[in-house]
Amino acid sequence: MKTDSFAEKTARDRARSLLDAGTFRELLDPFARLESPHLPVQEIVPQSDDGVVIARGKLGDKNALVLSLEGGFQGGSVGEVNGAKIAGALELALRDAREGKRIFPVLILDTGGIRLQEANLGLLAISEIHSAMVALREFVPVIGVIAGRVGCFGGMAIAAALSTFLIGSEVGRLGLNGPEVIEQEAGTNEFDAHDRVLIWQTLGCRRRLAMGQIDLLVDDSVDAIKECIATQINLGVTKKQRGTVARTRAIAAQTQKIQDHATADLEPGDAKTSSSGRGRRWYNALMENADEHAEGKSLLVGDAQWGTETIRAISVVPNPLARFPRARQGQMGVEEGWGIARAVWDAIDSDNAAGKTERAIVAIVDVPGQAFGLHEEQLGIHLSLAAAADAHIAARESGHPVVALIVGKAISGAFLAHGLQASEILALDDNGVEVHVMSEASVSRVTRRSLGEVVALARIAPSTARDVHSFAALGGVSRLLKVNDADEPSAQSVEEVRSEILQAIRRARADAKSPRARLESPAGRASRTISLEVRRILESQWSMEL
Amino acid sequence: METLHFEFRAGRQFIQRRVQVGVVASGNLEVLLEPEVSPVSRVRVRTSVDGYRDEWMAILRTFFGRHDVAAAIEINDGGASPPIVLLRLEQALEESRK
Repeated sequence: MKTDSFAEKTARDRARSLLDAGTFRELLDPFARLESPHLPVQEIVPQSDDGVVIARGKLGDKNALVLSLEGGFQGGSVGEVNGAKIAGALELALRDAREGKRIFPVLILDTGGIRLQEANLGLLAISEIHSAMVALREFVPVIGVIAGRVGCFGGMAIAAALSTFLIGSEVGRLGLNGPEVIEQEAGTNEFDAHDRVLIWQTLGCRRRLAMGQIDLLVDDSVDAIKECIATQINLGVTKKQRGTVARTRAIAAQTQKIQDHATADLEPGDAKTSSSGRGRRWYNALMENADEHAEGKSLLVGDAQWGTETIRAISVVPNPLARFPRARQGQMGVEEGWGIARAVWDAIDSDNAAGKTERAIVAIVDVPGQAFGLHEEQLGIHLSLAAAADAHIAARESGHPVVALIVGKAISGAFLAHGLQASEILALDDNGVEVHVMSEASVSRVTRRSLGEVVALARIAPSTARDVHSFAALGGVSRLLKVNDADEPSAQSVEEVRSEILQAIRRARADAKSPRARLESPAGRASRTISLEVRRILESQWSMEL
Repeated sequence: METLHFEFRAGRQFIQRRVQVGVVASGNLEVLLEPEVSPVSRVRVRTSVDGYRDEWMAILRTFFGRHDVAAAIEINDGGASPPIVLLRLEQALEESRK
């Protein structure tokens, strides 16, 4: 008998095939007509469901929620509408879980990550997805499935790593950076995007299983995948704050793999630095007399006492001697992500053990991006970034005020790992502060547009702009801070910024806000109207009887 | 991207239920088919390939020539060839009868 291929189905048929016959009920279906308003203005044909199917139904005797991304439409990329559909559905499942109604979420991840045409809107949506997934894991297993032709990349690879149980099929691939982007950013010597054998040996789910980065490898068959999901739902494993199940798979095992991994010194002593050095300068300015817990030299971690508040500040900085060449210029690499996770967990665990007030975590953000490299992908850089994001979420949820201060660049996966999970994001009001998802050269290559077209796009699609004011207009920043000179701040400017951080810490102590709260800010409400509309309609359709 | 509108005299058969088929992928398309109660069948096409109005007209004429239906149709096209377009339209109609 011929097996029923899962990969060859559309997103809707995949969702339908996983749910018991006759129970499939789609929310915000194609006739809700909530398509992307951002694509037609960029001369791109939209799809009626914006490339995601949200379905409720039965799986065995359990209530399931299937979120299925359509890899065929815009590479399964996450924009404002489909991002809001996923985040909104997870938020409703969380609301129900807190009321004792367990709904089991299954994410079918066939996605290239953030939709470049909707850039920072996709970035914000993905930060909301991460936050909801982690909160939901405390109640039900959050199951990820990577079994489509696109695979799972970018911010959604981080989401995959945050799932409780991750299933991959032989046709699935998983990685933070896609081959084309690595080649664009680091050259063919680093990664030849035409070398199919290399791609599968690095990103293929078979390889991911061998590295302990997914939990199960299955055949590309509907029956096999459905059976695995049903088994996990019946096991019902949850990830408690301090449970026996490792939160981001096993930190120790993964970091050991990094230590054992031979890494070629591809370009020793590259003098060119892509970080502004602001991360170090602001760390030093704010953290004078800090008690250092240096996590290697590419990560500054230290504690300081600011009045009654104990602060743990964390900043990623350039380090010419770093073990991984691609992370020497201040990028967020495998060591940096795991390092942040350790630094944050150390604060959580030691305050808890000593019975002390939860200290504040201050994420100083100046990261030119994630590290683009072959070794990074082999070791699962997506997992290390997920560990960092997960640690920030854990800190926030266990009573630690988490505040981010953007002093330089805040980019894509690096920002998802370090900054976006803060209760509040503060940013210097300065031209050197940038928030975006990919270099213009890579956007140009992936979207097949000229560099000039990409630059011009920012005028019609503000979410693709790179300046901090555009990001603040999306509700991404709670306060823009004026300083005399962002590169050489005066003592007075440093004092003012410190005072702003302390006020944000106080607000976070009173009310620890998740990324979702950014949508409710005045700027968020004004600019992300369709994100709110999606949630409103989703809620109205949510509770109808199955 | 080009948006095209077409109108045909509505046929005698009504669409039983609205359906969506297909994906806006490269060389593929999505068809949304709904009942139309007015005497005019309306079709809106959004296509990634500009300048093929006559070809669209020919495909839709073929479809409405074969089927005496009253329908509202929306097509989101990722550059599908005429046979694929016709196939999706037929598929949508068949689904609507299930």
